[in-house]
Amino acid sequence: MSEPTSTNTPKPSSSVKLVLLGEAAVGKSSLVLRFVNNDFQENKEPTIGAAFLTQKCSLPTRTIKFEIWDTAGQERFASLAPMYYRNAQAALVVYDMTKPSSLTKAKHWVAELQRQASPGIVIALVGNKLDLTNEGSNEAAGESTPAEGGEDEATNDENQAEEATPGDARKVSTQEANAYAEEENLLFFETSAKTGVNVAEVFTAIANAIPESSLKTGRGAGTGQATLGGGRPAEDTRVNLGERAAATPKEGCAC
Amino acid sequence: MESLAETPWDVTISGTGLGQSLFALALSRSDKKVLHIDKRPYYGGSEAAFSLQEAQEWADNVNKEPGQSPFEDAEVHSPSDSRLSSSRAYTLSLSPHLIYSRSRLLPTLLSSRVYRQLEFQAVGSWWIFRPSEANSDLYRVPSSREDIFADDFISAKSKRTLMKFLRHIGKPPQETEGQPEEEDLSVPFSEYLGSKFQVPAELHDPLLSLSLSQASAQQTSAEYAVPRIKRHLASIGVFGPGFGSLLAKWGGGAELAQVGCRALAVGGGVYVLNAGIESITNPSNSDNGDDARMQIKLSNGESIRTKFVVGSHWDLPGQAGNDQPSCEKAARSISVVSSSLESLFPITAEGGPLPAAAVVVFPGSCLAQAEDSPPVYLLIHSSETGECPTGQSVVYGSVRLSGPQGYSLVETAVQKLLESVSDAEAKVLWSLRYTQLGRASDVIDGVQALKSSSPTDGTICFPPPSLDHTFDDALLDMVKEAWKTVQGEDAIDEEFMKFEDREGVEDE
Repeated sequence: MSEPTSTNTPKPSSSVKLVLLGEAAVGKSSLVLRFVNNDFQENKEPTIGAAFLTQKCSLPTRTIKFEIWDTAGQERFASLAPMYYRNAQAALVVYDMTKPSSLTKAKHWVAELQRQASPGIVIALVGNKLDLTNEGSNEAAGESTPAEGGEDEATNDENQAEEATPGDARKVSTQEANAYAEEENLLFFETSAKTGVNVAEVFTAIANAIPESSLKTGRGAGTGQATLGGGRPAEDTRVNLGERAAATPKEGCAC
Repeated sequence: MESLAETPWDVTISGTGLGQSLFALALSRSDKKVLHIDKRPYYGGSEAAFSLQEAQEWADNVNKEPGQSPFEDAEVHSPSDSRLSSSRAYTLSLSPHLIYSRSRLLPTLLSSRVYRQLEFQAVGSWWIFRPSEANSDLYRVPSSREDIFADDFISAKSKRTLMKFLRHIGKPPQETEGQPEEEDLSVPFSEYLGSKFQVPAELHDPLLSLSLSQASAQQTSAEYAVPRIKRHLASIGVFGPGFGSLLAKWGGGAELAQVGCRALAVGGGVYVLNAGIESITNPSNSDNGDDARMQIKLSNGESIRTKFVVGSHWDLPGQAGNDQPSCEKAARSISVVSSSLESLFPITAEGGPLPAAAVVVFPGSCLAQAEDSPPVYLLIHSSETGECPTGQSVVYGSVRLSGPQGYSLVETAVQKLLESVSDAEAKVLWSLRYTQLGRASDVIDGVQALKSSSPTDGTICFPPPSLDHTFDDALLDMVKEAWKTVQGEDAIDEEFMKFEDREGVEDE
C-alpha cells in the first residue's frame, strides 16, 4: 500500500502454519522448546499425540507468527500427519545426524509432503543433535555450520575423519544431507536443540522463504490487532472472532 | 506403544465427520482412552474437503460402494481447459455451509480455545435472481433496515409494509406475549406476509431467501421462516458491520472437523485412518461389571475392546435396529468457475471486511418451474477462502429435489449466474454433481434425535447430517448428549467444551 511505514505503525503480522515431522526421538519437540522458550530438557518424555505452540519471529519488514504443530514421531498408524499438513505453509522435517535410518524416514516425509501438501509449501530439512558430534562439542570455538546452500570445506574434511574421531557420534555427513536437500529444493540446517545452535536460524530462514503472495492471500492480511482500532485495510477478509466475542461472551446478550 | 488390541478403550469414535470430530473435541481434555478411526484415508467424513483428484476418487467410491455414505450418484465433469490449475490448488468442500454469528457453535469454539486455529470470513450479500429489463438479473436482497432505506428498487409503499413486518418480528418475545391473540404461524409464509402485513408478492422470495428455506414461499410455513429471518437480522453486526454469518476458511466444515480431531490428538487420542468397523459384539451378560467392553472387529484386521462406540449410521455397520435412517435428498454440485465473480462480493457496510462468500437464490419460477417448486441455492466462495486460485471462484449449488431434474435445475442456475455477471469469459472449468442424503432441517430436538437413533447403551449413533445451508445447532446438542452419556456421573453441564489454553499458546 502507499502508506509510508513509519516507526509508529506496527509491522504487518502474518500467521504461518508449520508442521514438524520426523522419526521418534530425533528431537522435534526439543527444537520447538528451544525456539519457543529457549529451553532444553534432557530426557524429555515422548510427545503423546501432538502439541500446538505459537511463537513470533520478527523480520525487518514484518512479523511472522508461527503456529507450530508438533506431531508424535512414534505413531504407528501414519494417520496423524494428514491432519496437520493440510494448508500448512511450512514443514520442518527433522532427522538425527547420529542415526542414518532417521534420514531415510525424513526422506519419506519429504516425499509425502511433496505428494500431499499444498503446492507452495516451504520444507526445511534439519539434522539435529549437532552437540553429539565434534563440530558440536567444540562449538564455542567454531561459529558452527549453517550448511544451507554453499558447502563448508572444513566440515567435509571433518566428516571424512568421522569414524576415527573419538566421541564423534555423527553418522550422516553434512555433504550427504545437503546434496539431498539441494536435489529436492529444501532449506537445510544442522542444529542442536541442546545448545541452541542454528535453531532460531531455521525458523528465520523459513519465515524469509514464505512467498509474500502466500502471506497475503494464503492466510489473510492478518492485521489482527489493527481491527480493533478500525484501521482495517479494505482487502482484509479476516473476521476477528476472539476479541469481540470474548468481550461479550453471553450469546444473545444485547446490553 | 501398546497395541490397539491390548488397550482397554473407553471410547471408540468411528468416522471423522463434523459430529464425531466435535465430539472428539469435547473429549480432548477428559482422561478417557479414546480411539478415533475412519474407514477412509482422509479426515472429514461427509464434511470433507478435496483436491480435484481426491474429489474424483471420492466420486468413484460413492458410485462403487452404494449405501456406504450419505451420498449417491456422483459424477465429475471436467472439460479440458488450460485455465484449470493443478489438482492441489483446490480445496473443494462437501460442507460449504455458513455459520450465523448467533450460532452456539461460535461460543463453543471460543470456550474450547480452538478458535485460534481457525480463520473466519464474512458471508456478505444475499442475491436473488430476477430476470428483468434492468441492467442486472441479480437483485441484492436488503437484509437490514439500512439496506431497505437505501434500496431504490422497492416502492415507498412496499418499504412501509416491509418495515412493519421487520418491526413486528424484531420485537422481543415478552412484548408479544402480552398481546391477546396468539399469532397463527401455521399458514404458508406467502400468506402470512400477504394477509398480515400486505407485503407485495414480489418481495416474498427475497424475504424467504433470508430464511434459507429450501422450499417455495407457498410450501414454507411461517413457523419455519419467521424465526430464521429473525436469526438472520439479529446476527448482523455481531462480529463487525455489514454481515451476519461466517465461513471457516479452507473448506468450511472440513476445517472445523480437522480442528476437533487435532484437539483430541493433542489430548492423547489415538488416530487410525483406513480402519472401519466390521462388526460389533456386545459384552455377554455374565461379564456385566464396570469393565464390560464390547468387542469390535476393525477392517484392518485388528480386534479391539471398548466401553462406548460412537459414530453415524454409515460408520457403525451391523448394529441391530440400525436400519438405514429415513432421509431426504438434495441434488448438489460444486463448480470451479474461471472468474472471480467480484461483483457478488461488495463490502456491505463501511468499515466491514471484504466478504469471501455470497448467497444467490433462484426461485423455482425463475427457472421455468411451477410457482411452488423449490428454489436453487448457490453459495459462492471467492478465492479468499483458500478453496481455489486467485481469479477463480467456487460455486456450491443445491436444490431439494433428487435425480436428473434436480441436477438440471442446479446446472441451469449456474449457467444463468455466469450469464448475468459482467464477465464474458466466465465458464465452468470443472464440476462435480452428487445427491446428498440427510435430515430435514426442521428436526430440531438434537437430544431426542440422538437418543432415538442410538440402538443400545454403549452405542451412540449420530443421526444423518442436516441438509440445511447453515451450521445446524442441533448437532451441538447431540454432541453434548453423547458426551454426557460417555462421561456418566462425571458430566458437569457447565464444563462441556470449556477448556483452558494449553501451555505454549501465548495470549495476545
